[in-house]
Amino acid sequence: MAHVVVENLSKIYERGKVRALWNVNFSVEKGEFLVLIGLSGSGKSTLLRCINRLVEPTSGRVFLNGLELTRLSPRAMRRVRRRIGMIFQQFNLVKRATVLQNVLAGRLGYTSTLPSLLGWFPKRDIQRAKECLERVGLLDKMYVRADQLSGGQQQRVGIARALMQEPELLLADEPVSALDPATSHSVMQYIEQINKEDGVTVIASLHFLSLARRYGQRILALRAGEVVFDGPPEAIDDRKFKEIYGEEAEEVEIR
Amino acid sequence: MKRFWAKIRAGVWAGAAALRRRATALWEAGRGFLRAYGWPPLRRAAEFLLAWLKALRIRVLPPLLDLVFLGYLWLATSIAVSFAATGRVAYTLLSWEWFVLVVGVTGALWSAWDQTLGLKVVRHRLSPASPGMRLLYALFWPLFPLTLVTALVDREGRSPAEWFTDLRLVEAGEARPRRWYRSPTGWLAVLGLGVSLAAAVAVTRVDLRAFVTRFEKTLKFWRAIFSPAWDQAGLGLKLLVETLFMAVVATAFAVPVAAALSFLAARNLMRGPLPRLLYTVLRVTGSFTRSIDAIIWAIIFAVWVGTGSFAGVLALFVHSVVDLMKLYAEQIEAIDPGPVEAITATGANRLQVLRYGVIPQIINPFISFTLYRWDINVRMATVVGLVGGGGIGFRLAWYLGAYAFSEATMLTLLIVLMVWSIDWLSARIREKLA
Amino acid sequence: MKLLRARALAFLLDLLVWAYLLYSGFTLYYLSALWSPWRPEEKLVWPALSPWAWAVVLVGLGEAVLLTQAFGPSLGQRLMGVHLVAEDGAPPKLAARLAYFGFSHLALATLGLGSVLHPQRPWHERWAGVRLEPLPPPSSAVRRPPWYRTAYGLTALLVALATLAVGWRLTEVDLRRLVYDASKSLRIWYGLIGPDFRYLLAPDPRIKLSLVDGLVQSLYMALLATVAGTVAAFPLSFLGARNVAARHPVGWAIYALTRGFFNVVRSVETVFWAAIFAIWLGWGPFAGATALFVHTVAALGKLFSEQVEHIDPGPVEAVTATGANLLQVVRYAVVPQVLPQYLAFAIYRWDINLRMAVVVALVGGGGIGRHLFEYKDDLRWSLVGAVILLFMLTVWVMDYLSGWIREKIV
Repeated sequence: MAHVVVENLSKIYERGKVRALWNVNFSVEKGEFLVLIGLSGSGKSTLLRCINRLVEPTSGRVFLNGLELTRLSPRAMRRVRRRIGMIFQQFNLVKRATVLQNVLAGRLGYTSTLPSLLGWFPKRDIQRAKECLERVGLLDKMYVRADQLSGGQQQRVGIARALMQEPELLLADEPVSALDPATSHSVMQYIEQINKEDGVTVIASLHFLSLARRYGQRILALRAGEVVFDGPPEAIDDRKFKEIYGEEAEEVEIR
Repeated sequence: MKRFWAKIRAGVWAGAAALRRRATALWEAGRGFLRAYGWPPLRRAAEFLLAWLKALRIRVLPPLLDLVFLGYLWLATSIAVSFAATGRVAYTLLSWEWFVLVVGVTGALWSAWDQTLGLKVVRHRLSPASPGMRLLYALFWPLFPLTLVTALVDREGRSPAEWFTDLRLVEAGEARPRRWYRSPTGWLAVLGLGVSLAAAVAVTRVDLRAFVTRFEKTLKFWRAIFSPAWDQAGLGLKLLVETLFMAVVATAFAVPVAAALSFLAARNLMRGPLPRLLYTVLRVTGSFTRSIDAIIWAIIFAVWVGTGSFAGVLALFVHSVVDLMKLYAEQIEAIDPGPVEAITATGANRLQVLRYGVIPQIINPFISFTLYRWDINVRMATVVGLVGGGGIGFRLAWYLGAYAFSEATMLTLLIVLMVWSIDWLSARIREKLA
Repeated sequence: MKLLRARALAFLLDLLVWAYLLYSGFTLYYLSALWSPWRPEEKLVWPALSPWAWAVVLVGLGEAVLLTQAFGPSLGQRLMGVHLVAEDGAPPKLAARLAYFGFSHLALATLGLGSVLHPQRPWHERWAGVRLEPLPPPSSAVRRPPWYRTAYGLTALLVALATLAVGWRLTEVDLRRLVYDASKSLRIWYGLIGPDFRYLLAPDPRIKLSLVDGLVQSLYMALLATVAGTVAAFPLSFLGARNVAARHPVGWAIYALTRGFFNVVRSVETVFWAAIFAIWLGWGPFAGATALFVHTVAALGKLFSEQVEHIDPGPVEAVTATGANLLQVVRYAVVPQVLPQYLAFAIYRWDINLRMAVVVALVGGGGIGRHLFEYKDDLRWSLVGAVILLFMLTVWVMDYLSGWIREKIV
């Protein structure tokens, strides 16, 4: 059984009647690294957010381990979200809070409400936060405020926060498009490491095809909300490329 | 006639130029002297002085701050406890010897065992040590004023307590912050807040039962509030217009004055010794005048020109001038120097640089600050009126003093309407500007 | 539809402008002819005219509006962003403008029936050969005339001048009095230079409190009001934030109620609240503190909820994605973002409360203001000077302290 299954997923934004996703179907095996590509506004972000229902899909179904997510109550959905990590384009850290607090926030779904409101976390969660920070190489920045860090470091904090959730699925929404090329690779390598070592399924949207080729095991291309390509990276030739990105586009190599 | 004025002008310019020359020469002579003879010894002396001051900043200032804090704690505790015990407020419970003893001992122990509030301020902390050593440190801690002397002798500028122990004041890095309930500083801070609140409750004679027991006293008032004196609407409207005009006149006449002064109060435009002197004088007078409250200005002017809206206008005017001057000047200081440089490079004179390099950059912030100040002035106009500045506020104070609540409610209703419409209006205008 | 609205509003605005100008002219005339400084009730009066004269005035107003609208964009047209052009898009000729002026009387006589039936181009515009068009945007190639050569610019200038003139007379600005009565102000300056500190520590026999007692009272009133007000405003601010509370109809109702409460309470003067509580709770510092508290809750509540509305939505999304519930999202994504601002606002409010703690004494609020107003009413200026100096000193110290703390926090 596939890990994640998306069936006939559509999303239409009420205001402006924008068709963000149209009849999207695909499935992801456990431990797979799937990369979503497409132009800005082709529906990559919406698709990722429909999977953990930060955005409510208009129609269609999403399954995780055979469990239909689209039918869950908000409460049950919160429980499922604990196992789905997410990384964001703008990092979405609380800028004024310390790195440690930001990472601990990844544990909120597992912590009961009252202690968490008082800022109390179990000892082993704090221990685990330190391990996660060590993994992304930021242990020495534990008590630094998040806005003191560089972009790449902030994104690594974002990864650590996702790791805290002990995820089985990691959603990454343009994790490197706010970073410069060198930092991009270092951040992508952390994500790849999580995929390889922990066997976490990764669905990442990327802007550059070169990055997608380098890291993706499989590529799903969206255009105007519809799937136009689904297959291995090698299968994208010039013709396919033009189909995805438009006639005028030219491939940019990013090192 | 024309020649007469030309002569006068030439005279003034010549005088100003001579003064300027003289001042510049003096300035240059001083700098020349320093460059020729003074530097090395002077620099050494300055360095020594700086090191001494730095030592004092770390070793004398924090203990003083801590003592002030602990003294306040004692005061507030006395107020709270004495009120709870006797129903009267006393500032010291025990004799002064006790005060000195308790504050001193607490201060010493606190300083030896934790990063005190004062040390937090200067971002330093004590190096770790054994309890015995800490006790020794606490014993010598009261000698901290002697640092004035020891810092002159000691290379590291240590205090006597550091001399006799192996504790050192070191810079506090990014250490793991301790939970507040685990450190004496946290306890004292919480105690300070709690005692302050207790003292506040005592001093302000909080009596929550009065809300219920005295409720029937307000019945007359509730009746009045639901039947505003509509016959006062006409008078109220007139007073409202008068109040509005108080704000308009005060703002309108404050803007040109403040704008003219702001260029003289902008650091980046005032270069050279004489302009810098003018700048300093303006800034100091400004901040002094601004810190006198508009209410106090209103009282002063109410005595000066008599109670009435003119007094209110003057109070608002004075406050607006200094406030706007500061805001404008800060805006001028924050301009992009690029265009100014470019205009200067074309050979433009000072006024032309102002007109084409500075003013285009500041015109929009100026307008939005002016609107903001007008907004404030409309609100202030009623408050200033309360203490004799005329307008609707004066009438309101009068009615309130006479317990004429239907009338007061009517006026309040009008004020509320005015404040809302002004809010809405200035928000709309600022939206358009942005 | 848009043009119809523009036409109607432009007409109304112009009518208002001319009515205002007329009224200010009348007020100026009245104030200079029948000056009565001792009866402020009569500062503004309605002109007592016969019905016949009123009719003339009304017709004159209408004519003035139509004339300004026909000749160049009037202030109303400018504000609504429309102007008149000829068939070819150029500014209309004099004859066309005159014709428009004439025909628009007919439009006015039919109460704008033509504009309702043909909003794009009513009859009077067709007959005059002109059209109402949106103003070109400022960046377009069409060069606009400078403001001092347009009808709207001159009208705006006239309005500004009239406002200043009326304001000048109405607020009895009399610069001579500043000079002539300077001797009167000497009393207060003497008081400030030679303050009488006899009641600094010894209690005043009438008030039964010394100046220091009063000052301590004022300080603690402000402190209690600020702390309690901040604590109360904190939870309310989330209810008053659109992005947190207004997620479903019930939440929206709570949001609207909270905001309404903030707005009403905030715009009522603190002194008014103090007068209420002085009766309710009896004269004294408790009434003053309660009044300050009520006003603080509303003022801070509004500022706080605006802060909540302006937070970065990113962290909210991220924390939601980890499976946190609403309370946890507020605690970990919203509160850390707004807390420093909250503290800064609370400190700022403390500065205001300290000053207002003096004013509430006017209606029985207690504190050092009581000394101030008593001495002022008794014309004991050296005592007033002592109070003012003491209070100013305190305000300086507190301003310095709070500014320093605010800097540390933000």
